[in-house]
Amino acid sequence: MNREIGINQLKRRDFLKAGLVFGAGASGLAAGYAAVPDAFARAVYAAKQGGVSNDNVLVMIQLAGGNDGLRTVVPLSDPALHDLRPVLSGPMVSQALPLTTDFGLNHNLGGIKRLWDKGKLAIVQGVGYDNPTFSHFESIRIWETGDPTRRQVDGWLGRTLAKAYDTNGHPLTGCACGATDVPGALRDLQATMTVIQDQKKFGFTGGSEVEAAVGALYKGTPGIYGALFDTALATASETIAVLRTSSAEYQPLADYSDKVKLVYSSQNQLAAALQLAAELIVTGTGVKLLHVTLGGFDTHYTELSRHDDLMGYLDSAVSAFYQDLAAHGKSDNVLIATWSEFGRRPLENASGGTDHGAAAPLLLIGDPVKGGLYGSAPSLISLDDTGNLKYSVDFRSVYQEILSGHLGADSGDILGATFADVPFLRAPVPAV
Amino acid sequence: MSLDAAPDTVSSSPMPRRRGMTRRQALTAAVAAGVGVGAVRLLGTTMQTLSQPPPAAGSDWISPLESESARVMHLLRRATFGYTDVELESALSAGFNRTVDRLLETAPAEAPVFDASPTPGGRFPIAQLQQWWVNHMLGTPTPYAERMTLFWHGHFTSDYRKAADNTLMYWQNLTWRRMALTDLRSMLMQVTTDPAMLRYLDLAASTGQSPNENYSRELMELFTMGPGNYTEEDVRQGARALAGWQLPRPDSYATVTIDNANSVARRLPVYTTQAPGVFNNRRAYHGTVTFLGQAGSIDTQGVIDRILVQPATAQLIAAKVAQDFVNPQPDQVFVTRLADTFRRSDYDIKTLMRSVFTSQEFTAAASYRALLKSPTELMVHAAKALGATGLSRVIVAAGSGMGQSLFDPPDVSGWPSNAAWISTNTVVERVNFVTAALGQTKASLPSASAAVHRHLEGIVSPQTASLFNQAPDEAARWFIILASPEFQLK
Repeated sequence: MNREIGINQLKRRDFLKAGLVFGAGASGLAAGYAAVPDAFARAVYAAKQGGVSNDNVLVMIQLAGGNDGLRTVVPLSDPALHDLRPVLSGPMVSQALPLTTDFGLNHNLGGIKRLWDKGKLAIVQGVGYDNPTFSHFESIRIWETGDPTRRQVDGWLGRTLAKAYDTNGHPLTGCACGATDVPGALRDLQATMTVIQDQKKFGFTGGSEVEAAVGALYKGTPGIYGALFDTALATASETIAVLRTSSAEYQPLADYSDKVKLVYSSQNQLAAALQLAAELIVTGTGVKLLHVTLGGFDTHYTELSRHDDLMGYLDSAVSAFYQDLAAHGKSDNVLIATWSEFGRRPLENASGGTDHGAAAPLLLIGDPVKGGLYGSAPSLISLDDTGNLKYSVDFRSVYQEILSGHLGADSGDILGATFADVPFLRAPVPAV
Repeated sequence: MSLDAAPDTVSSSPMPRRRGMTRRQALTAAVAAGVGVGAVRLLGTTMQTLSQPPPAAGSDWISPLESESARVMHLLRRATFGYTDVELESALSAGFNRTVDRLLETAPAEAPVFDASPTPGGRFPIAQLQQWWVNHMLGTPTPYAERMTLFWHGHFTSDYRKAADNTLMYWQNLTWRRMALTDLRSMLMQVTTDPAMLRYLDLAASTGQSPNENYSRELMELFTMGPGNYTEEDVRQGARALAGWQLPRPDSYATVTIDNANSVARRLPVYTTQAPGVFNNRRAYHGTVTFLGQAGSIDTQGVIDRILVQPATAQLIAAKVAQDFVNPQPDQVFVTRLADTFRRSDYDIKTLMRSVFTSQEFTAAASYRALLKSPTELMVHAAKALGATGLSRVIVAAGSGMGQSLFDPPDVSGWPSNAAWISTNTVVERVNFVTAALGQTKASLPSASAAVHRHLEGIVSPQTASLFNQAPDEAARWFIILASPEFQLK
């Protein structure tokens, strides 16, 4: 529902921006609308000068559907696990890749385990929030907005984009890769961002003539969708120009294998999406906040093989992505973080799967992290009254560390509060 | 997203201010830009309306809905997938009220038989089924039934990936069409026992001894009541009461080589006769449950009946219908009025839709161009406007980039609507579809000038008018019409 709210609320700047981009081909049209007072435009631009000025990049990976935390970071020595999961626990414990005596990674996370060995994987355990909802869509919205009270309508990354970055002339500052619609985390009506499903196809098939005509067509568009349309077209056009250059320069230095068996409901080619993310980072397009999604985690049924496949898919895509960035000398300022709307019920169901749960671990990967385990793993014995794991770290603590420590943004302003520290970064940047 | 249209989601931002242009401004701008008499003619009807601008409360387009013919076009754009010239002529001569009657009272035409359906394991490409449906949307004599079938496909969602047998998706489409205009009580029984749905939300895997909660939860959260109107305990108890359904027995089995390179063969089910799920009492729960405040031994019909006692169900369906057919942010009083009518009629879809189409809100000036066409609506309307019947392959190929592949919704909440269809990727792909469609139909285009009136009521922005007038040939004029913001709206 929040998708519908406030489509009239775009700042004048966003509306004007569309008018500023297409000078040629539309001159003389709608004279009353295209006239932009330069002083106003500059004033808006100047207002962003106090924003983020470092080159740090954040890549959020959404594991959509509710990732099973217990099968991702496996408790190796808790005897309660077998009682809760008679079917699912056996192979997951015996095959796990040990991190410590008590915890191991899913056996299909071998590439990510190698990053752990190099100190480039931080795991925050027991992440959640108070009074969890077991609805996918409510919980996704809570994670996307960073607001369990459900009053906030804008995404936490969208707010970051709008408050802390100057996107004027930088259409790719916020970008969703491998998607067609704006992910909720990036949504903010004051923010400009790009969505690219497939970079090879991103562009007007009719060529520059069509692009120019459409640019002239979508300018000062009336109606409640006018500003959204105009901004989307203008941003698309700027993006096409940027991609034209970047595609020519980029050669992947890793194998983004798409050959891993795809899981049902996974429309999201994570490897392809991350390869696009790498291209955008390596070629200096000015990307700062990237979002990609891997779906299929709602494993109510025959979870064993499905979840293993998903872990393998995540592992190969993330490993290739890191390798590619490192080979290009670009890995030192890129932080990769996973998120999911909830974990799963510790007690397995009769379908060899698990129902919706609560607390789960998050993975933070890359050169900026200080490897290790953070937070505390939830007890398998002391469950809450819905039979779910109790959280120990508020998810906004993780956001806070990302915002202030990695991006250098004003986390208190964006999240509206401060949270307990989870110091998983090696050398936090000074906040603005 | 779920339909929790709760007041707490309302933004604290200032009231929307009026933006865009008045009729006078549009005319002035068009004249100032030197677009000439042609554009002014495109923009206007009579001078009388100049002094009476519509009370624009969300829409800055000049509403022409005071005119009967504009109301007919508005109705056909929303209740069907746009129109061909012939369909429009027929509706215009019938008038608005008789067209509403005709849409509501005509029984849905059956879709043609889909030939590939008995393929073992339903292993035919989904694109074949998508194309089959698009062809039916283009050619059906009852396009309102198709529009409603698509509406229910987005509401009672299943996707072919998890259903894992495309024949079951074909069956679901046939069932959704047959039930689309009936009543919610019988629909919910058919939805619950639909084989593709039994797979998609795991009810086929649920037993009374160890219930799978997936269907029970989404039935209440997304299909009927919405969050906040039931408890987690209701989800668990509902899952018990619903357990016991299984897929129907296949007509036969066939051994098929599924991997030629490695000579892997598998025994796959062959479904030739459509059948609903079957209830296996041995897998059911035999005891009492407390569901939505009442204890007892209840079966699936009992679960549905209890859900329909809750006023929240009619509210949710009415709000969704209002957003899809009337206004992106429907007034709560309006939604409640629709919901009350719906509930009093024992959830009769025809009664609900009649009250939607005949409401004052439906043809209010603020509703004019207040909705965004979904990719499917956009493409089918474009093909109908062009009089083109051979575009189903192009339409199916173009859907994904705009965010809509039939039988493959993004998640169990279905497709988003209106503003959520707009992103950098989707706007470019909407334009690319127009390029592709015109590339196939260049030879025999109908009159573009007539189309500006037939499909856009002659109400266009100065930009559209100017570019239309500058366009060198008929194909370029059609490009401007179909790629214009005006044509994206309904």
